[in-house]
Amino acid sequence: MSVILQLILNGVMTGALLAVPAIGFSAMFAVLRYPNFAIASYATVGAFAAWVVNTKSGFGVGPSIAVAFCVAALVGALCERAAMTPLRPSGPLAAAIASIALGVVLENVVRFAFGNDLKAYDLPILRDMRFGDIRIGPQQAQNAAIAVGIMVAVFAFLRLTRVGRAMRAVADNPDLARLKGIVPARVELAAVLVGCGLCGAGGVLIGLDTSIDPLTGFRVLLAVFAAAVLGGLGSVPGAVVGAFALGVAEELSLLAVAPTYRAAVGFLVILIMLTFRPRGIMGDRFA
Amino acid sequence: MATKNIIDRRALIAGSMTIATGLAMPAIVRAQAGPIKLGTLTPLTGAGGPYGPVMVNAVKAVVDEINAAGGVLGRQLQLVSEDDQTNPEAGVRAARKLIDVDKVSAIMGTWASAVTTAVAPLCWESKTMLATVSGADSITLLPHQGYLVRTQPNTTLQGRKFGEYALEIGGKKVFYMAPQTPFTQSTFDNMKAALAKQSGVAELLIYDDKKPSLRSEVDQALRYNPDVIFMGGYAPDTTVLIKDIFRAGFKGKLITLAYAVNQKVVSENPADVTEGIYTMAPSPAEGSPAFQRVADLVKNANPDPYTCQIYDHVNMIVMAIAQGKDASGAAIRENIRKICQGGGTRVVSAVEGLKAIAAGTKVDYDGASGPCDFTEIGDIADCKFRYEQVKGGKINLIRIG
Repeated sequence: MSVILQLILNGVMTGALLAVPAIGFSAMFAVLRYPNFAIASYATVGAFAAWVVNTKSGFGVGPSIAVAFCVAALVGALCERAAMTPLRPSGPLAAAIASIALGVVLENVVRFAFGNDLKAYDLPILRDMRFGDIRIGPQQAQNAAIAVGIMVAVFAFLRLTRVGRAMRAVADNPDLARLKGIVPARVELAAVLVGCGLCGAGGVLIGLDTSIDPLTGFRVLLAVFAAAVLGGLGSVPGAVVGAFALGVAEELSLLAVAPTYRAAVGFLVILIMLTFRPRGIMGDRFA
Repeated sequence: MATKNIIDRRALIAGSMTIATGLAMPAIVRAQAGPIKLGTLTPLTGAGGPYGPVMVNAVKAVVDEINAAGGVLGRQLQLVSEDDQTNPEAGVRAARKLIDVDKVSAIMGTWASAVTTAVAPLCWESKTMLATVSGADSITLLPHQGYLVRTQPNTTLQGRKFGEYALEIGGKKVFYMAPQTPFTQSTFDNMKAALAKQSGVAELLIYDDKKPSLRSEVDQALRYNPDVIFMGGYAPDTTVLIKDIFRAGFKGKLITLAYAVNQKVVSENPADVTEGIYTMAPSPAEGSPAFQRVADLVKNANPDPYTCQIYDHVNMIVMAIAQGKDASGAAIRENIRKICQGGGTRVVSAVEGLKAIAAGTKVDYDGASGPCDFTEIGDIADCKFRYEQVKGGKINLIRIG
């Protein structure tokens, strides 16, 4: 029993890390209508930005994540304008393919600037706390809490702010939104800033647990994409639900199969999901 | 017209035969008296590019040394060097040229396993000796009829060494964690066999090396209650693993490969996370006389393992030629084990070995890469490993042995 509980707990923590970039990915998909695979590199860019301010300027976790959010948002907006905007009229497939190429270019820019070596944040690593047979890492708990905080902030932004509401309107029905006087270009810019920023913040959360190198974001790209698809592409709460569901399902699968196959289990879940409910768990609502 | 043609053809045949005979006869004589040709086939470009050029320089230096000392069987050595571009297709073309055009007796130094696998059949079919530095287990299992030896330890030998070292630091119950690679299973099997000899046991867990967290895998490892966790991954996933093992409060010992917990990983992570980790890596016979000779020849105090290995290749091949009094690939195959194993006067270079062989003494070559003793199928029987331990954020050498 405690084994199952521990697995669920581990799954929730992994899910929390994946949820942040998954929200960014889904929000951008909802507004821009193409899957932006360059998120992997935005996560890497964010992770490196945080690494710079953490190790060179001694910033703590919170401020480092804020810096990562801003840098990734800025880089994302510039890349979107320079590379993606001219291509989007060619259709979502062309844009998706171009975003993969963009991701590879950014990855190599990071490699050129920082080298190929592994880097780690300048933070102590703490032993886990034990409650009977269950163990919880204080840092994982902290990361999960930060992730939850970011999610709450995103929901508040979408519900309570003008720009957030405009984003929801465009996601629901772009034509109707335009009729209502919402300028699509501004909403798109907002979506890119928020989406890429979240990817950058997610990159830091992942890097806190692992180490960072130019492939940090790329390693979790498939999992993030899977979480978004599972929850319903274009749905922000769906991305959260999808990330947690994927995290927990992959961990629980360890009870039955060897760890090598756990990624396959996650994708099997997606395959089943898409067969019976193609719009995902919460695909019918953006926020 | 027709008649004229026939006469012409006869004349042509007769003439050709005369010319051919005339050329062929001295050719045989020339072959006996001319230089003995040896080939290197190393990567000068591609992934192996950093190693190939230095390897060739080492061989050149050895060849010059032997020629200066009078050559072998009264003949000079001639070196032909080709580039395999770390690419099997380019490797095959270059090997064809070495075998068919240059007619070398032996090819030395193929680096990538894919290249060696592609080139090996050309060698055994043409009875050309091949000495390689590639590590894949499958290479020595090819039907090479003895025309292949390698100085790089295969994963079978590495696995055995892992097991022996785990026992040495007090591990009876070892948990092996590694990502899926072509060698994971065979490395584990051999490690387990080595442990079993002293009633040790082992369990394997293959993880997905792209996961941002390996907590559940570490839990699984701890439930086995091991004294030693052996980590067989690469640096990025091993970094995740050592953090999660530290967080879980594991009290036993950790062993990994030197490239997985290198100085970079140690200095980037908090000292208490890497404290006490043992690392091991196949090592040249550092400090041995042959190693010192390689260092002098390539003017680098720490020559890489492949340069040490190809230095051994050329020395062994030349001594095998002297031992068999024949420069053919077949003779090298017959005699290579006679000069490098089975006891005798210990020699560390061909120049030294050639004198002893000429005097009728049995020699046993002790190389820069290790003792250079080969099994039936051409694997090295043993090699040195470098054992180190992380202490206070620094990697300290325990021993080489």
